[in-house]
Order: sequence, then structure tokens, then C-alpha cells
Amino acid sequence: MDYLAKKYLRPRKIPSTACSGCGLGINHKATVQAIYELGLEVEDVVWGTSIGCAGRQTFGTWKGDGFAGTHGRVYAIARGLRLALPPEKKIILTVGDGDAFGIGLLHLIHAARCNADLTVIVNDNLGYMSTGGQYGWTTPYGSKTDSSPYGMFEQNLMSEGMDVLNILRYAGATFLARHVSMDGYRVVESIKKGIQNRGFSLIHIVYPCPTNFGSRELGTRSPLKIYKWIESKAAPLGEEKEDTLWATGIYYDASNSRPEFSETIRKNIERIRRSIAA
Amino acid sequence: MKRYLETGNFAITEGAILAGCRFFAGYPITPATEIAEAMSRRLPQVGGIYLQGEDECAALHLCIGASLGGYKAMTATSGPGYILYADPYGWAIGCEIPLVILNSGRVGPVSGITGAPGQGEFYLTRYPTQGGNYETIVLAPNSAQEAMAITVEAFYLAERFRTPVTVLADQLITDGFEDISVPENEDEMKEMGFRIWPRKINRGPNFYPPTDEIDIPPVVLGHNTGALCSDWTPTEEGYDIEEVEAHHKHAHRLIYKIRNHRDLFNHLYEKKFMDDDPDLIVVSYGTPSRVVNTAVAKARQEGLKVGALRLINLWPFPDEHFQKRNKYLVVELNWDGQLVREVQRAAGKDSEVHFTGCCGELPTVNDLIEIFQKILKGQPLARKGWQLEEW
Repeated sequence: MDYLAKKYLRPRKIPSTACSGCGLGINHKATVQAIYELGLEVEDVVWGTSIGCAGRQTFGTWKGDGFAGTHGRVYAIARGLRLALPPEKKIILTVGDGDAFGIGLLHLIHAARCNADLTVIVNDNLGYMSTGGQYGWTTPYGSKTDSSPYGMFEQNLMSEGMDVLNILRYAGATFLARHVSMDGYRVVESIKKGIQNRGFSLIHIVYPCPTNFGSRELGTRSPLKIYKWIESKAAPLGEEKEDTLWATGIYYDASNSRPEFSETIRKNIERIRRSIAA
Repeated sequence: MKRYLETGNFAITEGAILAGCRFFAGYPITPATEIAEAMSRRLPQVGGIYLQGEDECAALHLCIGASLGGYKAMTATSGPGYILYADPYGWAIGCEIPLVILNSGRVGPVSGITGAPGQGEFYLTRYPTQGGNYETIVLAPNSAQEAMAITVEAFYLAERFRTPVTVLADQLITDGFEDISVPENEDEMKEMGFRIWPRKINRGPNFYPPTDEIDIPPVVLGHNTGALCSDWTPTEEGYDIEEVEAHHKHAHRLIYKIRNHRDLFNHLYEKKFMDDDPDLIVVSYGTPSRVVNTAVAKARQEGLKVGALRLINLWPFPDEHFQKRNKYLVVELNWDGQLVREVQRAAGKDSEVHFTGCCGELPTVNDLIEIFQKILKGQPLARKGWQLEEW
């Protein structure tokens, strides 16, 4: 077993039950690596997950306390929990693209709005893959999935120049980054920055799903094919080519520039109590 | 003891604070908005937190997060908000998270009439979420003062049973002004029968024991106990598992931890004129019971042998009150008849079960007495235009 897994993860849940060739483990490892490099211990982190591939495969892997919330609502649960936990405890959420950008977008926006100290790792396999492979809100235009057999033609949060990170930026998020799994150490660096931001951080990581996305869109379950395909569609920010779908790197870094949610609430309650006592 | 002329909303807020509630997340909705307002004023005074959710679904999830972090938490709403709890309510039942939920009934379906009382959620409070395989605790007060006591009791039961408890009130209870006494210290609380159960922390490693035991501390995150909770069927340690046997144990616990400890709350009912084996038992809960009580007292003066049974513990349904063959009349604030179905089931075929409903306004004493007379004489009930009078 990997030294990181030994230190931080539960042997019962590692390896996960993810499909062979799934890229989720790369994101998972990058997250744990970031935690390790920041010198955090098991008790410093409460780990939340959601529904779908990303949620189920990462749930219960963290040696410490953990939860898997209802589909799309973990951002609201985590905000409630944020108020109850001491500020130094980190809350890290590993969720999927459907959870964050579909069913949970309202709650995600409100978590960004109040700059709640959460690090949200959105593991994007380009649609709803745990249900067999249907298109989602970041599925590239024209992609074939089980629910877009003629190619995905609906407008989504990543088509026509739209970018879901812009929504979150203007909603009040203070750290936003985008990567593909194959970005290697750059992913770890972004997650570290996200955890260090005392506020709402989101790291969007596109990862390969050979079983469903690959088999429908590329016509093969070969992991190599989809890894190469995603790599070919990604480029660092500023180095985008015409067919780049995912410009990678730090999109927006306003770390520690806005008052944090739980801090704001606590401060105001203290202020009110003092004014009543006076 | 401090006396107030105040609303049920005020009483519920004070009751929650006495019970140790320090977190409230809500969403404005008539006729429960004033609870949110009162909480936003009162909670900071006692170091508690008030939040507004982006919707009711988020509000209850916020409460869940706070409860998972160790707070005693509460939300309040009306029917249109209560249905949005389906998602978090189920999660809280499955993960055994203590919560208190107040539903002030108004006239439905959907938004219906916002500022008038209704009782359309009798079954919804029993089945507030999908999936089955659980039991729910629902309590229904009939006055502002009792709403305070029942709120305190709901927090007590929520902790001991590790489950959400719904207090089912209606618009008249929450909006109505009444004479309210608020205890000012522990002795006065005891005197009023208020029971308090402190939040405890489950240290694991078996967070979900496959028994019907109560008084097991709930999961609290952030204490590095290795606690897990999720949407999925849990193992005893909290891992997700897809096995029928594990699910059976879990479901059995969710159902029987409540069914096997009903003695903790099945004393919550009120009987009037029931000692002499009345010819007709009038069954109700919530505000209509106050009219029923008056009507039954008046009917007694007129020589009608009627009695009144008021249910406070609605769910699990107290079948034991209906074991005897009798004539029953169920009075509800809806036109479709909900409680009456349950009374019919519990009373069995040999009993005669009648229904009278109205909605948005209370029945009158005279109307009720007329119905008592007809039922006792064996005459059919009729109401202009409505074929719903008799069940």
C-alpha cells in the first residue's frame, strides 16, 4: 500500500471499487498528497462526499470523520457543519460534476456567496457515468452518450464560451482552479492553495472514464485512448489551441480576501451579545 | 415563571431555546415565518446561530450539518416547505440525526390559502421521505402553551431516539395570541414537566448497532471518532454496503427502535368525558380539538353521551385507543379525510367510523352537536353540496 494511503486512508476502502482504468484515483491521490504536503493530520480534516462515481468511490476512504450527503446538497450540509466545527478543521468535499453543477448548483452558489471555508474538488467525468453514461452540464458539445446518441447538442455550462467557474467567481468564490487528472503535480499545487484559502475554494478536475464516456464517445474502453484524448483537449491557461476544451491552471485566486462565512457569523453573534450585555 | 400574551410562534421559539436548541435554519413561509423571526432575534442572545437557507431543502440540510457538528438544531415551515424536506428528512432518518421540525399547517394543496389553518399533512408527516423502512415520531399540540411543551419534548425524543421529530401544528396555533407561561429556571421547567436530554457524542466504532436500543449517542463529526454517515445502507461502522441482510438490520432498527419504545410518548393524548363508556367518541388533534372539547361538554349538558379523544402523539399511530367496538366521529381540517382512515383501520370493521371535515376555518360547536345527534340517532349525515360528510 502506498505510504499516503497507509497514513490517511482506510485499508477496507482502498483500493476502491472504481472501474478498471478509471482516473478518479489520480484525483483522489492528488488530494491526499496535498493534505500531506500541508502537514495536516487525519484529525485535521472532515471529508465529505456526494452521490455518483466520485462520491461513492471516495466515501469512507478517509481514516478520520466522513460523510456522504444527499445528491447535490453536501454544500448546504457542509455549511451547517462549518458553523459547528472549530475554524482550524478543514472540510474537504470530493464530488462529481452532476452533483456540483447540476442538482447542487444552487447550494454550491450559496456556499460561494457566503465564502464558506470549504475545499470542493469536483471530479468531472463529463457526465453521469455511474448511471451508465448520460450527458451532464460539462459534457463537450457533440459528445455521444447514452442520452445523447446523436451527439450532445444542448447548451450547457461549458458550451458557447460559457464557463461554470465564471458563475462561481461572480457568486463570491475566492479560489478557483481547473485541471485534468494528467496535470500531475500542478493539480496538487492547486488543491494545496485551495485548502489554504480560508474561504470557498473549488478545484475542477476532468478525469477519464473509459467504461462509459470512453466507450460511447471514443468507441473504445481503452484507458490509453481516453487519457490521450483528454490530454489533447487540455492546455495550460494562456496556451490554449483552437480545439482546447479545458484551459488548466488557477482561474481565480483571491484567497483570504473576503470575510469567511462562519467567522462572519461568529463575530456578529459576539457583537450582538456584547451589545446586549452592555 | 414569566407570563406573556404572545403567539404560538413565540412559545415554540422559547421552548426550543429551553430545550437547548442553538441552531435554526429556516426559509420564510406563512404561517411559520414568525418562528424564524423570533429565532433570529433570540438565538444570538443565547450564543446560538440563525441562518436563512436558499430554500427549505437547504435549510434542513444546514440543520443536519449543524446537528452533525454537535448542535441541537431546528427548522420550521408550512406544507409547501415541508415537502421540500423529503430529501434531508430521509437522510436524517437513515443516519439517525436528531432534529426538530415544526410544520404549521395551512390550506393546501400547494400554496392554497396561506393564512388559514389546515391539516393536510397527517400522512405526509408519517411518510416525509421515500423508500419506506422507517418509523416517524409526530406530535401535535393544540395551544400555544402546549406547543412550547411539545417542542421541548420533541427535542428530548429526538436525542433519545436519534431521529428527526415533527411537531405538527396549524396556523391558529402558531399565529394565535394566548396566555403563555415561560419557566425561568430548571425547577420551574421540572414543575411544568419539561424533560431535557443533553447531546452526547458517539465514540464508535459501531455507530449503527443492529438493535432496537435507544439512548445511543448520535454521530457527531469533528471529534476524530472515525464516524461515518452516508445515504447508503450502513454497516455497523458506517461503511456503505449493498447487502440485503445489512439493510434488513438497518431497517429493523429504524422501525423498532421507535415502535418498541412507544411508552416514552404514547401517554401524549387527552381524554374528556371518556370515563363512562360514551356512545360516541369524537377524535381530533390540533386546533379543531378545542372546538370538539367545547361541543362535547355542551352536548353532555344536553344529555348526549359523547366523549372526546384528542391525539397528541399522532405517529406511530396509537391503535390502543380504538380497540373497543364503538361509534367514532373524526373531525379534521381537511375535506379528504386523513386521520379518519387511520381510525377506521385501527377501530376495525365492527366499529362505526364517521368523518366531518372543513378547511381554512374551524367547525362550529352547533354544527358538531347536530352531527353528534344524527350519528347517535343513526341518521345519515348530509351537507349541502358535499358528498364528503360521511366517510
